[in-house]
Amino acid sequence: MTSPTLSSLVLAVALLASAVAFAVIRLRLGRPLPAPFAEPRGSAAAGERWALTAAFLPWNKESARHHAPSYAAGLLLHAAVAAMLARLLWSLTGRALPRPVELALAVVLATGLACGLALFAKRALDPALRGLSVPEDYAANLLVGTALAAGLAACLDPRALPAFQWIGAVLALYAPLGKLRHMVFLVTSRRFWGRFFGRRGVKPAPHLPGEARHG
Amino acid sequence: MAELSDGARRALAVLEDRLDERTAAYLNACVRCGLCADSCHVFLATGDPETIPAKKAERVARLYRRYHTLLGRIAPRFAGAEEVSDEALGALATAAFGRCTVCGRCALHCSVGLDPAAILRFARLVAQAAGKVPKGIQANIDLARSTGNNMGITREDVIETVSWLEEDLRDTTGDASIQLPIDRAGARVYYVLNPRELKFFPLSISAAGMIFHAAGESWTLSSTDFDLTNYGMFAADEVAAREFTGRIVRRAEELGVEELVVAECGHGFRSLRWEAPEWLGRRLPFRVTSFVELMARYLAEGRLPLDPSRNSARVTLHDPCNLVRHGGVIEEQRTVLRAAALDFVEMTPNRLDNYCCGGGGGLLAASEHAAARLEAGRPKADQIRATGAKVVAAPCHNCIDQLGEVNRHYKLGVEVRTIAEIVADALRTGGPG
Repeated sequence: MTSPTLSSLVLAVALLASAVAFAVIRLRLGRPLPAPFAEPRGSAAAGERWALTAAFLPWNKESARHHAPSYAAGLLLHAAVAAMLARLLWSLTGRALPRPVELALAVVLATGLACGLALFAKRALDPALRGLSVPEDYAANLLVGTALAAGLAACLDPRALPAFQWIGAVLALYAPLGKLRHMVFLVTSRRFWGRFFGRRGVKPAPHLPGEARHG
Repeated sequence: MAELSDGARRALAVLEDRLDERTAAYLNACVRCGLCADSCHVFLATGDPETIPAKKAERVARLYRRYHTLLGRIAPRFAGAEEVSDEALGALATAAFGRCTVCGRCALHCSVGLDPAAILRFARLVAQAAGKVPKGIQANIDLARSTGNNMGITREDVIETVSWLEEDLRDTTGDASIQLPIDRAGARVYYVLNPRELKFFPLSISAAGMIFHAAGESWTLSSTDFDLTNYGMFAADEVAAREFTGRIVRRAEELGVEELVVAECGHGFRSLRWEAPEWLGRRLPFRVTSFVELMARYLAEGRLPLDPSRNSARVTLHDPCNLVRHGGVIEEQRTVLRAAALDFVEMTPNRLDNYCCGGGGGLLAASEHAAARLEAGRPKADQIRATGAKVVAAPCHNCIDQLGEVNRHYKLGVEVRTIAEIVADALRTGGPG
C-alpha cells in the first residue's frame, strides 16, 4: 500500500469536516417535534417505508409522470453523484479498481454529467424555472458537474485522480453550506413526510383495482 | 440594516424561534426543480409562475436562508436570501394566504418528497406574527372569540332554529318521534356544526337528524359550543386555534359523550381530529369522527336502510383537502354514495389527487383575494363538467360555498349538496323523496 497523498489527506479531512457540519446543522435544525397525541389512523412506520421506497417510482408521482424526461435526468444525475461519491471514498484506500469497473463507472458518470448539463440548460432557458432559481442553483449544478467530469477523467486516466480528490474536497466542504444540503435532507425530509402522511392513513393509500385515480 | 417595524420584528422572532425540525428539513430539501408546478390548481388555472408551489415556498425560504444559513448570511444575493422587511412580508402573505389554499396536493407529488403546504403553513405563521392575516379571516377569529362562533349566533337563536327544524322535520316525515336534541348530557354522540348550517343551510341539520334517527343513535347538539370551524388554524394562530377546539373538547367532556362527530367540514374535521390533541397537549378521552365515517359505519352495521333509486341523477364527488389529503378519510364517502345514489361517477383525478375547489385554507373568507379564488376554481369546474354529473356531493361546507360560486361563474348547471342530504333523501323510512 502506498503512503497517502496530500490530495487524499485533504479529501479525508474535508469529508470529515462535512460530516461534522451536517451533524451540527441537523442538531440545530429547529424545534424538535413532540410525540403526537392524536390517535393514528394509519402507520407512521409504513408511511416512512413508503416514502423511502415506492414513493420514488414514477407512477406514484404525477410530477414524474408529467415530466418524465426531467425526472429521469434527475434520477440519472443523482445515481451518478452517488457513484462519484463512492469512487471518491474508494480513492482514499489508495487501491485501484478493476478496469471494467472503472469503465462502467465512467459510463455512469458521463451519463450523469450529460443529464446535469441538460438540467442546467433547462434552468437557464425555461422562463418559469429561471424565475424560480437563485444564483446558487447554477453554481451548485456547475460544481457537481465539475466533480462528475473530474471523476470521469479519473476513471479513464489514473493521473487525474489527485485533481478529482481536490475537487471532491471542495465539493465536500461546500455541500453543507447551500443547496447541496438536500443530499442529506432529502432523506430527513422524506422520513418526516412519510411519518406525517402514514400516521394519518393517507400514504400508502389503499389500492383499489379498476379505479383510475390519476389525471 | 433598516429599522424594522413592530410587525417585522415579531415575524423575525417567529423565524428564529418557532421553526420546527420538520419544516426546516423541508426548507433545506427543496431544490427548486419546479416539477410541482402543475400539481397546483392555482398554477393550472393561472399559468402564473408566481403560483408554482416552490416559488410560493421561496417567499419564506429566502428569509430562512438569511437567518439560518451561513451562506445566506455572508452572501445573501448569491444564496437567494432576503432580510425581513414589510415588503418581503407583504409578498409572503399574498403567496401564503392569497395564492395557496394549503391543500397539500403538491406535497403528494413533490419529486424530492417534501411538503410545500407545511412550508406555506409556516409562512402563514410568519405573516400572522407580522399582522398580515387577511381581514376576513381575522374578523372570523375575532367574532368566534367574542361570541363563541364565527357568525355571532346567539344561544337563543340556536335553540329557536333547531326547534323550528325539529317541528318541520316531524311535519315533513310524519314521524313525531324524530328529535333534534340539544344539550343532552349522557348522549353517546356530540354533533358539532358549521354555523353556516344554522344560518343558511338548515336542511343539512335536518338531514343529519333523520340519519341519526334512522340509525337509532343517542346524540346531541350543543346550544353554546357548536361551532366546528377554526379560522385560527387557517391563520396559523395557535392561541386562537387552541381556544376554539378547547371549547368543544371541554363541552364534550361535560356532556360525557363517547364520540365527537364533526359535521361535513374538512378543516373542522382536521382541526378536531388531528390538531386539537396537539394544540391541547393531551389525548382526548373520546373518539373524534367525521359524519361521513359515521354514516359509513351505520351502513356497515345495517342501520341505514337506503333506496338509491330515490337519487337517480348522476352524482359526482368532490374530495375536500382537509378531510382526504390531510385527514385520511378517503373511501367512506364513496361507500356511502354508492349506497345512496344510482349513478355515482368519480371525477378524474380523484381521491388524494383530486383538485382543491379553490376556496380552501380560509381563502373563502379573504374577500381581497376573491377574484383569484374564483379563477383558481377553474380546474375543479373542468373536472365537474367532464363527469356529466347533475349533482356534486361535497362533504365540506366551505367547499360547498366555493363550488356554489364556481357553479354559477362557470355555468355548470349542477346542484351542490352534502352527502348527508343525499343520504337523507335515500332513506327508506321517512325520506321526503
